[in-house]
Amino acid sequence: MRPDDHDFDEEIRGHLAIGIQERIDRGFSPEAARLAALREFGYLPATRDEMRRVWHSRWLDAMSALGQDMRVALRSLRHAKGLVITVVITLALGIGANAAIFSVVRGVLLRPLVNRDEARLIYIRQSAPGLGADNLTFSVPEIADLKSRVTSLAAFGDFSTVSFTLIGIGEPRVIQAGVVGGSFFEVMGLRPVLGRLLTEGDDGPAAAGVAVLTHRFWTTSLNSDPAVIGKSITLGPRTATIVGVLEPSVPYPADTEIIANIVTSPHHLGATMVTGRTHRMTELFARLAPGATLEQARAELGSIHAAMVSAHPDSYSAKAGMQITATPLRDQITSPARTILLLLLAAAGVVFIIACSNVANLILARSVRREGELAVRAALGASRGALRRTLLAESLVLCGAGAVLGVILARPLVAIVASFAARFSVRALEVAVDGSVLWVGAGLAMAAAVVLAYVPRLPSTDGPASLAATGVRLTPATSRRLRLLATAQIALSFVLLAGAGMLVAALINLQAAGTGLEMRQVLALDVPAPLGEYGARVVDFYQELARRVGELPGVEAVAVGNFVPWRDAGSFGPAVPFAVEGYTPADGEESQRGRLRIVSPRFFDVLNVPLVAGRQFTEDDRRGSELVVIVSQTLAQRLFPNGEALNRKMWWTDPYFGKQPLPRRIVGIVADVDDENVVRAPAMMVYHPFQQLGVAGRVFVRTGGDPYALVPAVKRVVREMSPNQPVERPATLEDVRAEVLTPDRLNAFVISGFAGMALLISVVGVAGVLAFSVSARIREFGVRLAIGSSPRSLLVGVLSEGAVIVAIGVAAGAVGGYAFAGLAAAFLSQVQLPGALPLAAAAALMLGAAVLASLIPAARASRVDVLQALRSE
Amino acid sequence: MAKPRDDQRIDLLQGTLDMLVLRTLQWGPQHGHGIGQAIRAQSDDLLRVETGSLYPALHRLEKRGWLKAEWGVSEANQRAKYYHLTAAGKAQLSRERDRWSQLVGAIGRIMNPAGSE
Repeated sequence: MRPDDHDFDEEIRGHLAIGIQERIDRGFSPEAARLAALREFGYLPATRDEMRRVWHSRWLDAMSALGQDMRVALRSLRHAKGLVITVVITLALGIGANAAIFSVVRGVLLRPLVNRDEARLIYIRQSAPGLGADNLTFSVPEIADLKSRVTSLAAFGDFSTVSFTLIGIGEPRVIQAGVVGGSFFEVMGLRPVLGRLLTEGDDGPAAAGVAVLTHRFWTTSLNSDPAVIGKSITLGPRTATIVGVLEPSVPYPADTEIIANIVTSPHHLGATMVTGRTHRMTELFARLAPGATLEQARAELGSIHAAMVSAHPDSYSAKAGMQITATPLRDQITSPARTILLLLLAAAGVVFIIACSNVANLILARSVRREGELAVRAALGASRGALRRTLLAESLVLCGAGAVLGVILARPLVAIVASFAARFSVRALEVAVDGSVLWVGAGLAMAAAVVLAYVPRLPSTDGPASLAATGVRLTPATSRRLRLLATAQIALSFVLLAGAGMLVAALINLQAAGTGLEMRQVLALDVPAPLGEYGARVVDFYQELARRVGELPGVEAVAVGNFVPWRDAGSFGPAVPFAVEGYTPADGEESQRGRLRIVSPRFFDVLNVPLVAGRQFTEDDRRGSELVVIVSQTLAQRLFPNGEALNRKMWWTDPYFGKQPLPRRIVGIVADVDDENVVRAPAMMVYHPFQQLGVAGRVFVRTGGDPYALVPAVKRVVREMSPNQPVERPATLEDVRAEVLTPDRLNAFVISGFAGMALLISVVGVAGVLAFSVSARIREFGVRLAIGSSPRSLLVGVLSEGAVIVAIGVAAGAVGGYAFAGLAAAFLSQVQLPGALPLAAAAALMLGAAVLASLIPAARASRVDVLQALRSE
Repeated sequence: MAKPRDDQRIDLLQGTLDMLVLRTLQWGPQHGHGIGQAIRAQSDDLLRVETGSLYPALHRLEKRGWLKAEWGVSEANQRAKYYHLTAAGKAQLSRERDRWSQLVGAIGRIMNPAGSE
């Protein structure tokens, strides 16, 4: 049985008693015997401690003392509810935000992919810096070249995205499908959860059409129905059998519903795809060969690519400066999210620092009030360690409560941040709150608690001077500390606020920018060409469609085209090179490039694009009549500054359009419409009449009433003409553009949220410091009122104290922020400095909020009761 | 018997105190004061055990299960804690005794190598 303290005491007492008795027996006087026995024993408490130490470890003792202190802390904090609430909420916000951001960062950037041996899985990218193209993807002949020569890569997998009209599962609709070679799944290292995946046996034009469902599609749209295996579906003109379901994995390069073999896509079997060296639409994956390193693979790919480029000079222009790069797949997937997530992590960190310094201020103020109590304890012999432990116990209680609340808060925050990050990385879709949040929360709380326990200064134990303190005494040193912390908070908040202001200003600019189009009254819909219809039949279909929709009540005009502004941006590849008679490029000048668009007559009326010169397309611009185009104003002026563009002939020079150039006469010039970029830039546009090319797919309806009210009627009209016809994504152009701006809006929203949080915390901090300083100077205010100061001057005095803190903080924030941005700009190319307007707005907001918050303590100072104040000490 | 002068007293070797305590208790249960006195008397006053070392050592041995303690009353009718050896304590004593003879033998061979005399 473990002896307790009483046992130790008894044992020592017994020892002494025996020793004393022995000495008395030998003739000592009782007093001398007692002294001798005590002297022989030595320092009594030390022995007693040593005995205790055998049974109780030092650590256990400290913990039990701390537990004791925590019970005391809980009791004493019950009398400071305002402090507790402020501290807990402030810390909860700081900890919650950090835990949430950290979960997302961990889930998106750090967690390995599910793919087998993912570290050896790489993504190969072909880029053309000269053309500003980051990722050109690959053509089939290019892939064949690489495959036949590279030895440092064990296997290649290819993936291309194709739109199919899917019939057989749910409503007929247009889906994005992956089309892959048989090696794809093996290279990616993915397994089926049901059935089988595609293999080499599914390659070639003679194979049967087979498709694999992605896990997300199977679970969300098909209720995880296992009977779907073996089902036959129609993919455009072909059919395919569903053979399996893919395990949950990051959908990359595209989030598709199904992944099918090559034979399902007629395009993949055609000559353009198989032999066209510049017909690039395939993404390339590979696995490093055993023993090969990423560097070896990069070097080998680089030299083989260079040889390929020089062997086919007609396909690779020198100006494009084509390059090949290989990155681990995980980096490739996470790279778009990396910058924004690290930025958010930094913002959350700043909020945490602000929260901590605010809490430190509050605790510092509290410890000043407790100086008397601490001094008494010190005088009574409490060691500095014991006093520290008291403070630590209190801050542990506070921070622990903050952490618990913060972790609870983290769950909804993770959902918000993950949906935000999903705009940048598909991995964010899988992020959930996990155990790491708890650890991050607990870690941050511990860090905060320890820091906070060391913020207050302990009373000096020399001399009784400190014992004399009765009321609140604010020494200049403490006052300086409080103000310094408040100023630091303001400075940090200001940096966040200025950053948010910059994003909001950019967003406002984007939203307010003119587009040159009718935005509100034009409804755009995706109506793909009916199955199995080509050429003239397609033209007939859309003409009939336009006629019937035009007869609907409320419809003012209808047009068809191939491109919904902004929404279809990037989906038609880079601009195409062309030539115009009468225009000779200067030596070494790359040929002009234009964006190919296909539109019906009245397109420019529907979208309200003014005609600058010449004529619009008419119903007579049809197959067999003279080939004509309409160009944009920028194109006309850039090539022919003197305005002789009209009636000249142009032709596309890309081999994709055939070896023989097909000259088309420029019959009209229209105002610029930049349908690729939300920020309007000069646009080189070449419009073709749709009857001559027989390609459309997008319908534009202009109405005087509510555009969305027309959707059911338009759908009905289309279904009457062709029952299996998909009609999708109806939206006004205004909403299309808003949708494209969503990531910018989310950026501004989230950073503003952080900035708002920081603003709130730091303004409360300033008010808290003022309130404390007022309460410490009640007597001073009383005296000043008594000798004739007006309450108003006291109010202004306190307000100006607050304003000074904020002004210094803002100035420090501005200087520090610029210095940091300059530093960051040295490493990151995208760093921008905010303009003067958002900066001034942020400063004004900061100052206004702080003055408002200071009103409460200031009013208190001006309403001091003179008599009471003078009597208070 | 003349008392040895202070500088003749010998500091106990690390670990030997435990052995001496166990050995002392072989004669029967004893309290802390008695154990200290016994060691002193047995060593002709050469070894004096500080109470600051003795009591922690007693508790250490008790914790390891080599000793057991019981409250009792001394000859002079004072309440005291009496320690006695457990079976494990006896085994430990014989282990320590072996180790000690080996140590003494080894040190003896080093200090007085055979053939050097």
